[in-house]
Amino acid sequence: MPLDLVLRGIFSAAFVASVLRISTPLILPALGGLLTDLAGATNIALEGIMLVAAFSGVVVSAYTHQVGLGVLAGIMAGMLLSAILAYFHLYLNTDVFLAGIALNIMASGGTIFLLYTITGDKGASSGLASGMVPVIDIPLVREIPFLGTIISGQNIFTYAAFLLTAGVALFLYRMRMGYHLRAVGENPEAAASVGINVKHVQLAAFLMSGFLAALGGLDLSMAYLTLFQREMTAGRGFIALAAVYLGGRKPWGVLLAAILFGFADAFSNQLAPLKIPSQLVQIIPYAVTIIALVLYAAQQRARSSGQQRSMK
Amino acid sequence: MKWITGSPAVRETLRILLAVLAALLLGFIITCLVSKDPLNAYRAFLFGPLSRLNRIGDWLEESISLILLGLAVSIAFKAKQFSLGAEGQMAFGAMASGVVALFVPLPLFLRIPLALLAAALIGFLWGALPGYLKAYMNANEIVSTLMLNAIALRLYDYLLIFHIKPPGAGYNQSDSFPEEGILPSFMPPLPFWEETRRMLTNQMNLTVMLYIGVAAFLIAYYVMARTPFGYELRMVGENIKFAKYGGINTKRTIVLVFAVSGIFAGLAGAHLSLGVHQKLIANITVGLGFEGIVVAIMARNNPLFVPLAAFAYGYLRAGADIMERTSDVPREMILIVQAVIILLVTAEYVLPFIKQRIVKPEDSYLAEGDRYAA
Repeated sequence: MPLDLVLRGIFSAAFVASVLRISTPLILPALGGLLTDLAGATNIALEGIMLVAAFSGVVVSAYTHQVGLGVLAGIMAGMLLSAILAYFHLYLNTDVFLAGIALNIMASGGTIFLLYTITGDKGASSGLASGMVPVIDIPLVREIPFLGTIISGQNIFTYAAFLLTAGVALFLYRMRMGYHLRAVGENPEAAASVGINVKHVQLAAFLMSGFLAALGGLDLSMAYLTLFQREMTAGRGFIALAAVYLGGRKPWGVLLAAILFGFADAFSNQLAPLKIPSQLVQIIPYAVTIIALVLYAAQQRARSSGQQRSMK
Repeated sequence: MKWITGSPAVRETLRILLAVLAALLLGFIITCLVSKDPLNAYRAFLFGPLSRLNRIGDWLEESISLILLGLAVSIAFKAKQFSLGAEGQMAFGAMASGVVALFVPLPLFLRIPLALLAAALIGFLWGALPGYLKAYMNANEIVSTLMLNAIALRLYDYLLIFHIKPPGAGYNQSDSFPEEGILPSFMPPLPFWEETRRMLTNQMNLTVMLYIGVAAFLIAYYVMARTPFGYELRMVGENIKFAKYGGINTKRTIVLVFAVSGIFAGLAGAHLSLGVHQKLIANITVGLGFEGIVVAIMARNNPLFVPLAAFAYGYLRAGADIMERTSDVPREMILIVQAVIILLVTAEYVLPFIKQRIVKPEDSYLAEGDRYAA
């Protein structure tokens, strides 16, 4: 029975674990997208940041034989790209959307260009012996049936994704800087009038966004796979942007939205025995995002008209 | 100098030329860093497209796609609608025209127009969707068009693999189109130039799409500059609140802007299937998704300058291809040049000649607020 096979596949611990693994490079950039979005600017360059970080991580870890240095280089490269975007947007008055597109193009072209220059291959860095971040086996947890397979034995980026979701939530709702960030996004003039330096706050949001997206990129090239492939982000930066809206612009919502995308991806692969075309299944999360976008906007509208009424 | 730099049009042109020159200079520096023979590589890049008849053909063929895409994007951007939907509309345009070319048993002079019409129509409808979501549902168009692209590309794959690919074929592609479904040469078969025609069609694949591209350009220019819709579109782009105050139905205008933009992207897709590839292939839109944006930015969203920008940018792309084939520099250098052009043209404070355009930061925040409050 093919259906049997599919169900058994989905309700296995290995499947849940793989959903988390696939979701990690979506959760991290989505958190980054959330921070800039709440600060009032769409970071459309998440895709490029991930790509540059993935590439730098592989190259530096291959040449220094130090995984840690590779990760560090990836983070620096991603944050640098994000800083360039912030500089053009905040200080040169470039439209953030167009500058972001330009940086995506530069990241896509630049990584292939350098890959070819370094390895002589335009497809992948298979010639480089690049590093892999450690997988963590949690001693006692590992023994728990079902849950053990899911919680233990993931790579550090997957754990980081969940911890950083909590971190971002803490930052946004419990820290002064987080309040400032949301105030700037809500109403920059009002924020400026109470003495918040709008540009500094937005710059900080872009840097944090770059950091988070870079981790997502590093997950792709140093954990999920252990090499760099051209265009290996494959639109994940854009899906992450969608997850921000699908998740209602709240950290835990964004986490769930990113996992939903990861689930749909993993699920569509599991459907092979049923002969349902995977392309059709993969459409579902995109369609859901559009519906969520509409619902979210409707809710915002209801809220703002409610506020106006209560003021009267 | 003041009489030169005084006119905004001249200033804009100088700005863009300077941006392109600066980007080309950077490209040359990069070439010097990686190439063993940078001069030859850069010569191939700059002059290669003109060196042979077939290369000129490749350049012109790609420029036609870029004109259509550039028009699609500049129409949307002129109204400050940041649609990224061209790629999905292009994929559907290619699919719709390809299906007509493959399966509708009509003679050439009916089948090709029907195929083009199908592409324009699907582009219109698939474009209207995010416009409707933006205007009436307040849905952010950047995210919605990206999602619709993803959906369109997967539907394209699905249709291609499960319904159009001949059973047992190794590659995910359709049969080659029959002759009645392929765009004919741009030179009609007339007796007095038969010799020239045969020579040219052997060397380059330049089709009647050339005329359709020119017509599309003229129509786009006329619509934007001379019709009420064009006026409403520009008003919405300049100040949507003011436009609404002035009695413009801004919601209807926004839907139409997206839809009309989709027509041009759909036609670009038809060019890919009926002209460039002459069959439906996997990833048919690859590498062209964002290229319309570059063309639109170089043309400053003015349809009048789109052909110029498209030919110029198409030339750089063609040059990069030739450089890759004849030297040790990969064609992706052009992407770096392209990114630098976008950044330099769109950054208001980088290049000279623009002092008058400086706006107070408060104004830009207001504009930002409008965009994201929506």
